[in-house]
Amino acid sequence: MKKQMIISGLTARPVRSIVSIMAVTLEVTLIIVIVGLVTGILSEKAQRTVGVGAEIMVQPAGSSMIMELSGNTLPVSIADKLRELSGVKAVAPIQLQINMQDGIETIFGIEPKSFDDVTGGLTWHQGRPFDGPDEIVVDNVWAKSKPAVVGDMVELLNHKFKVVGIVEQGKGARVYTSRETLSAVTGQQSDRVAMFYVKLNNPDLVKTVKSEIQGLLPGYNVSDVNQFLSLMTSANITGLRPFMQSVVFIALCIGVLVIFLSMYTTVTERTREIGILRSLGASKGFIVGLIFEEAAVISVLGVIFGIGASFLLRRILTTVFPTLIVDITSTWIVAASVSAIASGIVGSFYPSLKAASQDPVEALAYE
Amino acid sequence: MKTLLETIGLRKTYRVGKIDVEALRGINLRVREGELTAIMGPSGCGKSSLMHILGAMTKATSGKVLIEGSDIAEMNDGELTRIRREKIGFVFQKFNLLPTLTARGNIDVARFLHGAAKAYDDHLAEILQLLMIEDKMGRKPFELSGGEQQRVAIARALAAKPAILLADEPTGSLDSKNSEIVLNMFRELNRRFRQTIILVTHNPELVTYTDRLIEMRDGVIVSDNDPWNTDSELARTSAPSRV
Repeated sequence: MKKQMIISGLTARPVRSIVSIMAVTLEVTLIIVIVGLVTGILSEKAQRTVGVGAEIMVQPAGSSMIMELSGNTLPVSIADKLRELSGVKAVAPIQLQINMQDGIETIFGIEPKSFDDVTGGLTWHQGRPFDGPDEIVVDNVWAKSKPAVVGDMVELLNHKFKVVGIVEQGKGARVYTSRETLSAVTGQQSDRVAMFYVKLNNPDLVKTVKSEIQGLLPGYNVSDVNQFLSLMTSANITGLRPFMQSVVFIALCIGVLVIFLSMYTTVTERTREIGILRSLGASKGFIVGLIFEEAAVISVLGVIFGIGASFLLRRILTTVFPTLIVDITSTWIVAASVSAIASGIVGSFYPSLKAASQDPVEALAYE
Repeated sequence: MKTLLETIGLRKTYRVGKIDVEALRGINLRVREGELTAIMGPSGCGKSSLMHILGAMTKATSGKVLIEGSDIAEMNDGELTRIRREKIGFVFQKFNLLPTLTARGNIDVARFLHGAAKAYDDHLAEILQLLMIEDKMGRKPFELSGGEQQRVAIARALAAKPAILLADEPTGSLDSKNSEIVLNMFRELNRRFRQTIILVTHNPELVTYTDRLIEMRDGVIVSDNDPWNTDSELARTSAPSRV
């Protein structure tokens, strides 16, 4: 009977019910997709860095291993010193440039041979390596997102480049060019780089070689690349954790306010009905339960649609922007669902108490 | 005859702004099992206040209200709710059916709240037959005429076999034809099921359907032809119709 009352209450005011469900859907989608975008971008970045195949990364002091943000200040000659260390198989000096034209992306200025020595070589889909100025090689995701094919001219860093090759994604950057070309375009010295990827003969000797490098280059950032995946979380990146907490908090506030407004409106509209129920002997607990359960139905439906909408939005986003990664995890689906249901409970708390505390005689006289 | 309901020195005062308005000023009343009683009086005489107190919907300012011997004036909200659920059936002038539910749904709500057992099904079937609404159960209130809505409301009020049926201006929103039908049904319910019924009205025609007439004015009872009260002048001239 109670189920029938809840269903009839929801279907009697379809617009209110649908809008409330949509708001909870929005709340859940907002949490899942925003968190999914952040974690997706981070984990994809981590996988690309690990995908280079190096065991150690050397950067200037004070630079960020996670964001790969550092100036091109290291003399490229350090590579030779690193190659002399026992246990080092190959070293790839990398010049870095962030391109903020049409999105944010990292461009690697590399020496093809040393980069191949570390990575084992790029996997080619089309074209050839760059061998002249203003030539770039891009990965398949980048090519699809533009879209671009071999032979196309593209604009990066306010400069025209020719796409000469397309490779499989997953090894450092999405765009590669020669160190000379990159330094010429950016006005930096070609013999300065931002980091070195170091490949070892025996990956089990990371700690030993790492301390040797630290002895050779005191004050430099020397990092174990295999720790990268675990470090690439929002908790380790300054500002990201508060950002995600803010998103979740705002989403929760939306949920609480919408459910509050919805249930407050319904309680006001149904004052007379509540009076009738009270006159029939419905207890205050019954009335509170009725309002709570109605809010719970709205929240649960919103959660179901929200989860569905998140997967749909991910499909749309990754189709329109192939370089975007939306990592939808079961942990955050559960967290968003619990948050939405909790916001439903919090939002319906006051309206349910208001409903239950109504005087039956006054409620019956309500017009 | 067993006394079902009794009030002793019942008073009700409302605060309107800074003024206290006395709606009831010492009501002494005794209603016995199986009686069909009408309470009559002009608007504002305190009839509805009395009904709300007898129906455990509001509390008296002072005095006692005994329902089957229990003083509901001393009860808290939870206990009053239980009394409404188990002892009282209420019929309102404006029907007060739940608009989102069918006639059957409205009746089932009362049974659900009461926790009415299957044993009540036969009783309900008889009531529906008497009220001639068996074929209206699938309709929503807006699909029913005023008379039909009021009959559904009566069925709902009786669905959990209450000790007392209170009806506040039950024909106030009906035309004369439907009023007559509803009043005849009250009388039939009283006779067939010995249902104790108290009707409140300002319609003098209604009293011809009842055994007892209580007249109120300015918050007090001014006349009562209680057939069991030998002090009653009316009682001396009209013997109880049912013993």
